[in-house]
Amino acid sequence: MIRIFPSSRFTSLLSAAKPLRSFACSSSPTREPPQCASFAEKKSSPASNSLSFTPKTPLFLRPPLHATPLSEVWKWHDWAKDLASSVEDSSTNSEDSLDSVVLLRELKWLIEDSIVDDDPVIHRREIGDDCEKSVKLRASLEELYDLWRQRIEKRRPFQYVVGCEHWRDLVVCVEEGVLIPRPETELIVEMVEELVTRDEWYKKGIWADLGTGSGAIAIGVAKVLGSRGKVIATDLSPVAIAVAGNNVQRYGLQGMVEVREGSWFEPLKDVEGKLVGLVSNPPYIPSGDIPGLQAEVGRHEPKLALDGGIDGTDSLLHLCHGASRMLKRGGFFVFETNGEKQSKMIVDYMTNDLKDTFSDLRIVSDFAGIDRFVSGFRL
Amino acid sequence: MSLLIIKRSRSRSFLLWQTHRTKTRTILSSYNSPSDTDCSDSVSSTSGLSSVFTRSFKTTSFGSQSGKISYLNQKFGNLAYSKSSFVSTARPLSSEAVTVAATCDALTVERIIANQWPILDENESDWKSHAAAIAQSIQVIKRRLQWKKLMVKLKVLSAELNKPDLWDDPNHAGKISREHGSLTGKMKGVMTFERELLEHIDMLKLAKEENDSELESETLKALIDMRRVSKEKELEALLSAENDPCSCYIEVQAGAGGTESNDWAEMVMEMYKTWAQRRKFSVTVVDEMPGEIAGIKRATIKVNGEYAYGYAKAEVGVHRLVRISPFDSGKRRHTSFAAVAVIPILGDGSTRVQINDSDLRIERFRSGGAGGQHANTTDSAVRIIHIPTGITATCQNERSQHMNKASAMAVLQSRLDQLEMARQTAMNAQHTQSLTEISWGNQIRTYVLHPYRMVKDLRTNYEVSDPDSVLEGDLDGFILSFLSSSLDKSDEEH
Ligand SMILES: C[S@@+](CC[C@H](N)C(=O)[O-])C[C@H]1O[C@@H](n2cnc3c(N)ncnc32)[C@H](O)[C@@H]1O
Repeated sequence: MIRIFPSSRFTSLLSAAKPLRSFACSSSPTREPPQCASFAEKKSSPASNSLSFTPKTPLFLRPPLHATPLSEVWKWHDWAKDLASSVEDSSTNSEDSLDSVVLLRELKWLIEDSIVDDDPVIHRREIGDDCEKSVKLRASLEELYDLWRQRIEKRRPFQYVVGCEHWRDLVVCVEEGVLIPRPETELIVEMVEELVTRDEWYKKGIWADLGTGSGAIAIGVAKVLGSRGKVIATDLSPVAIAVAGNNVQRYGLQGMVEVREGSWFEPLKDVEGKLVGLVSNPPYIPSGDIPGLQAEVGRHEPKLALDGGIDGTDSLLHLCHGASRMLKRGGFFVFETNGEKQSKMIVDYMTNDLKDTFSDLRIVSDFAGIDRFVSGFRL
Repeated sequence: MSLLIIKRSRSRSFLLWQTHRTKTRTILSSYNSPSDTDCSDSVSSTSGLSSVFTRSFKTTSFGSQSGKISYLNQKFGNLAYSKSSFVSTARPLSSEAVTVAATCDALTVERIIANQWPILDENESDWKSHAAAIAQSIQVIKRRLQWKKLMVKLKVLSAELNKPDLWDDPNHAGKISREHGSLTGKMKGVMTFERELLEHIDMLKLAKEENDSELESETLKALIDMRRVSKEKELEALLSAENDPCSCYIEVQAGAGGTESNDWAEMVMEMYKTWAQRRKFSVTVVDEMPGEIAGIKRATIKVNGEYAYGYAKAEVGVHRLVRISPFDSGKRRHTSFAAVAVIPILGDGSTRVQINDSDLRIERFRSGGAGGQHANTTDSAVRIIHIPTGITATCQNERSQHMNKASAMAVLQSRLDQLEMARQTAMNAQHTQSLTEISWGNQIRTYVLHPYRMVKDLRTNYEVSDPDSVLEGDLDGFILSFLSSSLDKSDEEH
């Protein structure tokens, strides 16, 4: 059911190889398989959703069972550093190459996640060169060698290597099969935060995060809504459902975030016309761009999370329609897009084809200056 | 609390008293008679008691030292240190009748200083050197307290307190007596310290005379401990400016000269990191721009801890390095520069510059490409630009954009606060300069690794012949001497 990983080298690390225990998604009452209706049928949806999926434990949450001599850790560290520094000389394709400065920072974080309490010992090697000492690692050194090789040679995303992504003030568990939340997307939560601090009304109603992936947006929104908030998070991918459910649980938000499996609005029939807010970062990359994606993305992240159809707007347009049906009067929406072209197109579509349905349509840019989001209100 | 008291006299007899605090008090007062300054018989016991009851120096800043203040203290039991410095509960010294403490042979703190005994390393077991160091610290502390003025003030306050109608205005009376109490406390603290020094000297001479090597070494150790404490006290006295207790940012920027200077900038930054760690400050790297081949172009660290700013501000300026370059295959001598700026992180209590969101522009630091779902990078650095002032801040070492932004915002806030402070005080004092304002001419220190080895501060002429120790963070000598020299300056201005 998980057709994510091209390289056979990693199979031992994949949770697919672990016994499949059923994942109790406590707050997910709708467990029936999605009736992949009209729109979603175009997607390559997983064949069966009846099997539950157990999310992997990220490195930083694993027990520190591996007492390792410090000298060995340093040996690994030096090796990893050398490997990281050598990438720039060896890469031929300048368009899509690794940056050793970034890699060195990742190495620091990998150590941070592997060593208990970020034992500062590794940073202070000269002082009291005490090779006899040993440190407790959360992974065997063998695995750390393997992980770093995967990062550099296979271009496995760092976040999959450590099993988490720091996003806003959250640490979100991620793994193959779930999109790694992007920094740009943090702004969706920021916009919601701004809105709800301005107008308390939005704190009391139901919100939805469609295509929740790791659950990052849903959790971020729930936290800014405060204790009375309620967010329904949906996704078509069972891996995403399991990972999102796990993240919700880790933040103790089961009472506020409900994870539902299914295609877009399909699992939301009971709340039609009742939402005060709707947020989504749907797949928006034009199909033609998929083969040329950066290695970390193209080779490792799920196509279901990226491919937005011929011009990338299939899901977005579907969401626009749904927004008119699902939102209450005055309800707010914000969608992430591929950039200026898509944002303009969405605004055009909403003003012309969905006439008199939305107001205050706005295009908001991300920190790189790209017109990344479209937001507005249901009339 | 029971105290063990050793009494020693010239006749080499030992008297051991196991007694209780209350009892000791009586003994103390009985020795408080004028005759107890008489050396002949009871010097040591008197001195011991007085120090026991008057010690209340705050010893928090150098955690390691607090346990071993002085041998007297160990011998006579541990009294809880009072948190407030220089507050003592000892003998009722009347402020009018302050007598200058002296040893049997009439040595006073002032005379010790006048003798100009060379101050050697702590490890040298030369009591004169210790005494001179302690006396010097006492002098700095007195200067900081504006000693002479303090005495006059006390006299005035005492006179006021003695007025029969004082309590007709209880508000005023309360104020006067509080101020009197606080100044008396300060004064007594210093005087006790002075007396203790002289008592140790007496004891030492006695030990020598009597060839009591055990007592001699114990007393010497007590002097060393006292020397450490007094150095700390001195430093505390030096750090009494408004923002001194703050945490701070330290920024280092490489001068012109590429790899050579970048490497030097990194060495300087490492020096501060280890210095801060030794001081038990916590260090986090906020922003770091690596050099192409080695070192850093610039970097900002956050140093968290009490008095971080007070100490670090002494480092502001240009640091110059002379060495045989490890990057020059021709093994030629090179001179490199690195500029250091230090920014206080004001506490919540202080008024901070109000920043309007609309005045900010936030940029992705290394943007490019389509972004969003197209890109997977762990690089989420942001740069915040404060449009009205053009001041910017960058952070790239956090793991999320949100945190990088928060961290950069904190840097920006502190930079704006600093700018405002400089504007308000109008005295554009050196340590309020930002990196961009520091002129490369403002050299404060030279580090020579070749042809000879030396680090010399150009402001104070303080110098050290072991550059390695300095580069490993042993900076306190430089910092201390600079701080006391600026104290001298501000004294002269008064
Ligand atoms: C770009 S990812 C966004 C994930 C997450 N919200 C984030 O921002 O990190 C798009 C998500 O939409 C989900 N998705 C794709 N097609 C879907 C469908 N028909 N119904 C519901 N979710 C779908 C994918 O599984 C993926 O998790």
